[in-house]
Amino acid sequence: MNILQSFKMAWRSIAGKRGRSILTILSIFIGIAAVMTIVSVMEGMKDYTRQQYSQMGSNKITVSIYSWMWDENGNSTGKDYFPDLYNYCNSISEYVLGVSPQGYVNATVSYGTKTTANAQYEYDEQTGRVKSAPPRSFYASDQYLIVNSYELAKGRNLTLLDIEDYHQVCVIGPEAANYFFERMNPIGKKLLFNGNEFEVVGLLSPKGDGTEFNQNDNVILLPYTTRRVLGGEAPTEFQVQARDSESLPIAMSLIGGFLKGLVDNRTGGYNVYSESNWQQYENQYLTMISLVLGGIAAISLVVGGIGIMNIMLVTVTERTKEIGIRRAIGAQKSSIISQFLIEAGMLCGMGGLVGIFFGTIGSLVLGNLLYHITIWPLPWVTAAALGLSIFLGLIFGSYPAWKAANLQPVEALRAE
Amino acid sequence: MARLIETKDVYKIYAEGLESEVRALDGVSVNIDEGEFVAIVGQSGSGKSTLMNILGCLDVPTRGDYLLRGTDVKELSDKRLSRIRNKEIGFIFQQYNLVKTLTVQENVELPLIYQNIRYDQRFDMVKDALEKMGIADKYKHYPSQLSGGQQQRVAIARAIATKPEIIMADEPTGALDSKTGNDILAFLKEFNQEGTTVILITHDNSIAAQANRRIRIADGKIIEDTGVKQ
Repeated sequence: MNILQSFKMAWRSIAGKRGRSILTILSIFIGIAAVMTIVSVMEGMKDYTRQQYSQMGSNKITVSIYSWMWDENGNSTGKDYFPDLYNYCNSISEYVLGVSPQGYVNATVSYGTKTTANAQYEYDEQTGRVKSAPPRSFYASDQYLIVNSYELAKGRNLTLLDIEDYHQVCVIGPEAANYFFERMNPIGKKLLFNGNEFEVVGLLSPKGDGTEFNQNDNVILLPYTTRRVLGGEAPTEFQVQARDSESLPIAMSLIGGFLKGLVDNRTGGYNVYSESNWQQYENQYLTMISLVLGGIAAISLVVGGIGIMNIMLVTVTERTKEIGIRRAIGAQKSSIISQFLIEAGMLCGMGGLVGIFFGTIGSLVLGNLLYHITIWPLPWVTAAALGLSIFLGLIFGSYPAWKAANLQPVEALRAE
Repeated sequence: MARLIETKDVYKIYAEGLESEVRALDGVSVNIDEGEFVAIVGQSGSGKSTLMNILGCLDVPTRGDYLLRGTDVKELSDKRLSRIRNKEIGFIFQQYNLVKTLTVQENVELPLIYQNIRYDQRFDMVKDALEKMGIADKYKHYPSQLSGGQQQRVAIARAIATKPEIIMADEPTGALDSKTGNDILAFLKEFNQEGTTVILITHDNSIAAQANRRIRIADGKIIEDTGVKQ
């Protein structure tokens, strides 16, 4: 008997028992929809975090070096480790592209009447999100641009000389330049940092970061050594840009080894970590959650599968006579088995299709509700859901089908 | 005439060795040649249906040999037996045994489907069989929409659609009135004249009398065999 005929026959008997078929489909679709929603949402979340991390900049290593020593005023007495770290990182340039402190400059910046002292955060009245904010200033090395993926639009970058000689210069982002100088050329203008003059020597290209107020473009970068003028503690946070994802773990362990010899563990400590590691942890975490939830949903699939088996057994009993007739006129065991297997597979496959429909709705709704993102189920998730449901039908249909095929023809014929 | 069916000391014993042991067939030896019209006659419980089931490859004997065209049926796989039932034997039952959920057309088509015959060819074969039985106009009906006589015609159409060499009819007229029953018998005679071997199982002597040869069976044993009437 050919396959097409088997499908036709299975369809006939499914359509013939409509009410029962619908109930059977129901028993399988809930599980499929649940599994699909869970897997889709988790995959969507992974994708989302991946995007978030890639915006932050990939292959970045964060180094923090902290001190446990304070003076009588409560200020940290930690030494400035940056020159050592800078020299070391530049000595392993096959793995590292650049290094820079990540330190916020706590100073009031002004130009004429414009000052960050009275700059207000503006909020969007409808969403409540930040629309605009005062420019922020950071201590930087000459490699800050590499580390933070900036490009220069005009003028020049900070140089090693600027840093070594405490030059009071700065590089400005386009949003910050717009805030202070509006449409004027910022190069050569002098900004006052707590009353100290800093000359703008460079303008950054817009980078954009997806946030509404382009935070990344609203920056001013100063040679980090100018903290001698502006005050503040020695930088404790540093960003290192690894050459690529292969170099990242090597650079991390090299820098870790270097700091072990450099930092006195009686007076302080250090930490070397990477956002890529965080991403990995978060992915593991999400995978674990999806396994747990998926496991729970899988139980409902097994329950549904047992329901399928039950219904198929009833069907076989009900159709004993028909099986006897078919056997008498020449159906082989394999024909009977395939007839019932295809019927169970089709039923569950239909349950799977309904499940995919509701699973898609589920992931869209949950994605919106929980994370405000649109999660379409991935093609492989959809295909796997359909495959899984058909597989369930075949698994749980196999015992009833086997039972049907092994009925004694003579006895089956006698049944009413 | 070539030997078609040969049984040697065939036993069918249920619950053998127990007190409740039943010998449905108790050492039956019978030969049937190609082209015969044989009636197997007996009261209910005599073992005649058991004999038909064994001759029709629906059941296997507990002991003894059954040679179908010289081949020992015991040696055959389920697959081969299914094929024999499918191609070489046409069954007609007292209760018609049509699949209720299938139409007349689909019922007659069923054995052809199991033969993997192509659709267009199948369609013609079904049409021929139904026309021969005079019920071609009912092809879209379901069995429940037909009278008993019509259902039996459909069942016969199903049996002859594959052009089998043997037709086995188990009380084919048992559920029908005598006129309809006679029509059915007329068909069987016609098939026999066309060369098909017909084995008719009945408890009714007057029906059995219409066959060329009568084999009487009681308590699982053959008690009379008229041989082929000349």
